Amino acid sequence: MAIISINNLVKNYDGEGLEVQALRGVDLTVERGEFTAIAGPSGSGKTTLLNLIGGLDQPTAGNLTVAGKELNNMSARELSDMRLHNIGFIFQAYNLIPVLTALENVEYILLLQGVDKAERRRRSTEILKEVGLAKEINRRPKELSGGQQQRVAVARAIVSEPELVLADEPTANLDQKTGSGLLDLMHDLNHRKNITFLFSTHDRMVMDYAERLIRLTDGSIISDERKKSSRESGERKKSGSRKSKK
Amino acid sequence: MKTFILLGWRNLWRQKRRSLVVIVSITLGVLMMLFALGLMNGLIAQMLDNSISTKLGHIAIHKNGYFENMKLETNFLPDPRIEEVLRKDKDVVATAPRVKTFAMIRTSEASRGVIVFGVYPEKEKKASKINEYTLPDEGGTFLSDPNAMEILMSKSLAEKLDVYVGDKIVLIIQDSKNEMAGVGLTVKGFFQTPVQEYDNSVVYMGITRLQTITGLGDNISEIMVIATDKEIVDDVKTRLIKNIRNAALEVMTWKDMAPNLVSAIGLIDKMLYVYYAIFFITVVFSIANTLIMSIMERFHEIGVMKSIGTRPSQVFFIIMFEALNLGIVGLASGILFGVGLIAVLSFTGIDFSIFMDAMRQWGAGSIVYPFVYAKDILVTLLVVECTTIIAAIYPAFKAARIKPLEALHYI
Repeated sequence: MAIISINNLVKNYDGEGLEVQALRGVDLTVERGEFTAIAGPSGSGKTTLLNLIGGLDQPTAGNLTVAGKELNNMSARELSDMRLHNIGFIFQAYNLIPVLTALENVEYILLLQGVDKAERRRRSTEILKEVGLAKEINRRPKELSGGQQQRVAVARAIVSEPELVLADEPTANLDQKTGSGLLDLMHDLNHRKNITFLFSTHDRMVMDYAERLIRLTDGSIISDERKKSSRESGERKKSGSRKSKK
Repeated sequence: MKTFILLGWRNLWRQKRRSLVVIVSITLGVLMMLFALGLMNGLIAQMLDNSISTKLGHIAIHKNGYFENMKLETNFLPDPRIEEVLRKDKDVVATAPRVKTFAMIRTSEASRGVIVFGVYPEKEKKASKINEYTLPDEGGTFLSDPNAMEILMSKSLAEKLDVYVGDKIVLIIQDSKNEMAGVGLTVKGFFQTPVQEYDNSVVYMGITRLQTITGLGDNISEIMVIATDKEIVDDVKTRLIKNIRNAALEVMTWKDMAPNLVSAIGLIDKMLYVYYAIFFITVVFSIANTLIMSIMERFHEIGVMKSIGTRPSQVFFIIMFEALNLGIVGLASGILFGVGLIAVLSFTGIDFSIFMDAMRQWGAGSIVYPFVYAKDILVTLLVVECTTIIAAIYPAFKAARIKPLEALHYI
């Protein structure tokens, strides 16, 4: 069953009198539980595509359905609610709320969803343990390393168990070892919780982890390559990661 | 909600110095506002107390028409029933029957029109402060015998008439038959009240002697009544009218008798609104400026919050809570310091001796004891919080309307 369904998506930007075509009629379908990467050079349109899928931007033309919802005619509030309930976001620059602790950052999403305090605390603590930050839950972002901050961001993205996680170059600011560990983690979550992950990246490591690799150039998909199944790939990466941890 | 308040609180302390500047400005504003209120309250209370404790009393009982037109013939006989009603009323503390009439004082040097108060010295001591205002250093004393051929006048009037304690003056009065009568009186002593106008126009003598001179017999002009508190006079008045049951008499409170004073108090109260307005304008811009700067610095962060699902209304409330926190901290410290300062000054007083003449013209003393009512603190609280809320609306609205994608690209 498709979680993302895109039909002839076009996005143009007005740049000082010159119209820039960021996406030129993209067609794409992503099934539930996929672990997909959109790769391409800078300016290829991958972040624009992710922003449109996340309801952060409006397309110039075309149809876009996410989690069964037609995004084209949704109001700002409806889009906000859709992002809250259906999508988890992971940003390149972590983007945690600096005045909140790791636990509070993760809890924040559940708070917006109206989950009661005890349940919020239980689920947030649990997810932070899962991402290996049991001892850091009361630290604020500036007291955490880049890798730890990105783990908090992952925990925040998945704590409400969304159907889809959009990750915009999540490893770009991390060293290889930390990035690899993070991908292991996300792959494991994809495997265990059947959460769909969609990355934008130009990191070779992310492309290697992805079970489906979509290449984008000048706003058009030039290739769409399916690799091993999520389950098989996940098992391989998990065992690899365990070795690397030793 | 708690998390939004927490967010607002923590955001406040991200730029400690900037927040502290705003908090200190609110604190000083609240402090000055309370001080101004306290000072005005102190001045008003003194003006009132001085008028009540010398001339007016809390309540006065006259024959109908006396207050409008103070004539000697508008008098009444204080029958025992009135005295009994006054004695039995739980809120009546003291009473002082008086004869009041216009007269002229003549000396070898000058003459001056005055109002003569004929009083029972012992009763007047209990009902008014004129005994306390008598100046023993000038060699005189307060009146002692209601039938004595003695007069008590203010020091300033004595200077104008060029008389000293023990000197003789001539008092010329129109009696109840409209005939002029002159009588020689000895200056018994001098007084000085905080009300200059009163000092220049009022003299005291024994009531029995004045009744004899004017031919009033046992009749009097008024009974001055002191109640337990000046704020309860309306109730006491109603009760006295009901119990005295004499349609020929009028019972008036200090509010009825001093409409000018009541108007002046109202005017002073209104002047405070100007002060509130100045405070309002200063704080509005101070808080709005701080919040706008804070929002600009957190433009990206607000974009992140919105992109992960925070609704515009929730962003609005986070900024509002931030402003409320600023207001509450400033308000709390302002009230703490303000009430503390007024508590100290209410004991020590503020010495305005250098403006003594001006203060006496206002009917206030040279030392003012400021105080605040609970309602003043409540009004201050409302003004500051409303100001804070109004100041925060525009920045909060701007923050709520930030487009997440635009903000995410903003570094």
